[in-house]
Amino acid sequence: MLKPKQMSRVLLVGHKDVLEQTIEVLHSLHGLHIEEYEDDGYFNIGKPLPGAEQDSKELLKLRSISSFLGIGEPYHRPVDAKQLSSGLEEKLEALDSTVSDKLRRKSDIEANLKDVETKTHDIKPFSGISIDFDLCSGYDSLQVFSGSIKKGVDIETDLKKITSEYQLFASNTGVILLFVPVRYGDDVSSLLNECEFAETKIPEISGVPDVLISELKSRHDSLTADLGSLSVEIDSIKSQEEEFILSSEELLAIETQKKEAPLFFATSEHAFVIDGWIPDDEFTAMKSRVSEATRDRVHIALREEAADEVAADDTNIPIEYDNPKIVKPFEAVMNLYARPKYHEIDPTTFVFIAFPLFYGLILGDIGYALILLGISLYGRSKLHGEGWNSLFTVLIYCNISTLFFGILYAEFLGFPLAGLNGHPGLIPGWDTTFLFYGLGGEHITYPIHRTHLVTTLLVVTLIIGVIHINTGFILGFRNVLAKHGMKAAVLEKGGWMILQLGIFLLLFGMMDIVPGMLPGAVIFVLAVGMLIAGEGGTAIIEIPSILSNILSYSRLLAVGLSSIGIAKAINIMSEMMWSSGGVFIIVAVLIFILGHTINTALSVIAPGLHALRLQYVEFFTKFYDGGGRIYDPFGYNRTYTEE
Amino acid sequence: MAIELALAGADPDLILANQKGLIAIGAGLAVGLAGLGSGLAEKDIGSAAVGAFTEKEELFGKGLIMTVIPETIVIFGFVIAIMMII
Repeated sequence: MLKPKQMSRVLLVGHKDVLEQTIEVLHSLHGLHIEEYEDDGYFNIGKPLPGAEQDSKELLKLRSISSFLGIGEPYHRPVDAKQLSSGLEEKLEALDSTVSDKLRRKSDIEANLKDVETKTHDIKPFSGISIDFDLCSGYDSLQVFSGSIKKGVDIETDLKKITSEYQLFASNTGVILLFVPVRYGDDVSSLLNECEFAETKIPEISGVPDVLISELKSRHDSLTADLGSLSVEIDSIKSQEEEFILSSEELLAIETQKKEAPLFFATSEHAFVIDGWIPDDEFTAMKSRVSEATRDRVHIALREEAADEVAADDTNIPIEYDNPKIVKPFEAVMNLYARPKYHEIDPTTFVFIAFPLFYGLILGDIGYALILLGISLYGRSKLHGEGWNSLFTVLIYCNISTLFFGILYAEFLGFPLAGLNGHPGLIPGWDTTFLFYGLGGEHITYPIHRTHLVTTLLVVTLIIGVIHINTGFILGFRNVLAKHGMKAAVLEKGGWMILQLGIFLLLFGMMDIVPGMLPGAVIFVLAVGMLIAGEGGTAIIEIPSILSNILSYSRLLAVGLSSIGIAKAINIMSEMMWSSGGVFIIVAVLIFILGHTINTALSVIAPGLHALRLQYVEFFTKFYDGGGRIYDPFGYNRTYTEE
Repeated sequence: MAIELALAGADPDLILANQKGLIAIGAGLAVGLAGLGSGLAEKDIGSAAVGAFTEKEELFGKGLIMTVIPETIVIFGFVIAIMMII
């Protein structure tokens, strides 16, 4: 529970005749993390099994079909793998020809559409000119100007000064077509330039612009209709074949994975060597199953020298968490930071306790707890996938804790449930009961009113901090002990714990709880000496951090108070509106709903991040390195197929 | 002297209320200015952290930690404010 799964390094050596069976067994076991063989000149890297190329080609084809049809990842009931594989090739061939036919048609239509659109774009400026484009070019004695001029300019008057031999057409869009004899070309050109002439290219099509435009429009319409009916056809293929595509993609991916596995193995002319890591508890099962499948023709051995290697360097060992099911969702929280190393304590269990506890301590409101419980239960049933599942399960744990603290604080959406000092609570007749005196003369009551108990709660949060941080130091002590021995552990981690003792004795001395400050000072100096011996001179710079770390836990109170503050502000605002009556009642309801929706969202983010930060910054820095390798066993998590 | 005379004539409740008000302003400044300080520090670290973990996703945890380290400043501000008020 507190350690990652224990791993052993194994070697499987056998004759190439039984390679396929070995791969088959290893794949179905899904337990061996294979170490890739790097060519060292002695052995060779293995060659894929026969059929690998064919399979990966089919897989590629299938994936391109799947991306063309836009297939997502919906949930389907798994289909039988054997049944599927028997008719796979023919069915895939047929599907491929249908789909590639559709694909061709689609790209044809799209190309035509593009063409129509370009032509329409070119011709549009000339709409309203009733002259065939054929007549606009190819003259020896005539010069043709086509383009737009400055708006509102009457060009004809100036044109007439140059020559009366001209022909001018104007379109609806302001483009003109001007025909003049070549000899006046230069004069007309300079006249046009004065009118900010910008040339528009005459399209190389024959026909009258308006007729062409209406033709193109009808073609565009029919092409769009074709595309629409084609996409209906594609959708029907998609819904018909989705299950087949998803399951056969998975099947082929598995086949390719198996057939390409020898690329990770070392092989000689007749033998193969597989090197990898396996969890200790799966070793016997693997050994017996491989022996059974290959009739003892594969030699399986634990690599003994691995033990020394492990002691020296544990970064190479793949890490698989070994936690009870209830703690598992918090592995996602760990992964966000870093996986533990092999010889480190896996702190997932501590996060499982402290994270929901801190979250609940901060939020502590029955209303928000119920809303968030509802959302997370609904979300967990609707959204599948490991990430979502972990997220919502963590939220559920957190909000159960929030509900507990909500009952302790008796808060509902920022309203106190019990009355206090003559102010009635939400539940009529329930009044706060006095229990005993806390710090600074504060009344400890049930339910606890956080806003009236600031001093006591501040001290309580700091005590929680001291406990949490010292748990970290104890874990750190154990980690250093395992790696560097007793002396280092006492100096490095024990030093910090003794330092805290010194600081507290000094504080108590100042407050006259213990006689004099001498014992505290002596212990403090001793601890500093230990730290300098253990961690070097830099430890002196780190000393204040222990105080800031402990004070940091006061956020357990601070963030909670700010959350109450927001909820109260919303409630007061809507109450004010409500008492005005009339239309304001609707405004009051709106403020209430909107405000509490925003505060619910904040209630996930603020307590979540702060509770997380206390784990990552204050707790983990005391003992945790992380950086372990991900355990990625050879095999496949089937979703759409079953054996 | 003038101030003392003015105070002598003033209503004791008013003086008390004034003092409370000044304490509240002080507490507000303690939290607010500390918050500004945290914000200024976090904005630089935060943008760098986002940049880092878009390149390399594993850095999310480390980036988050770096980003929230200055947050402790505002918590100190809060503690001081609480100590001023009570």
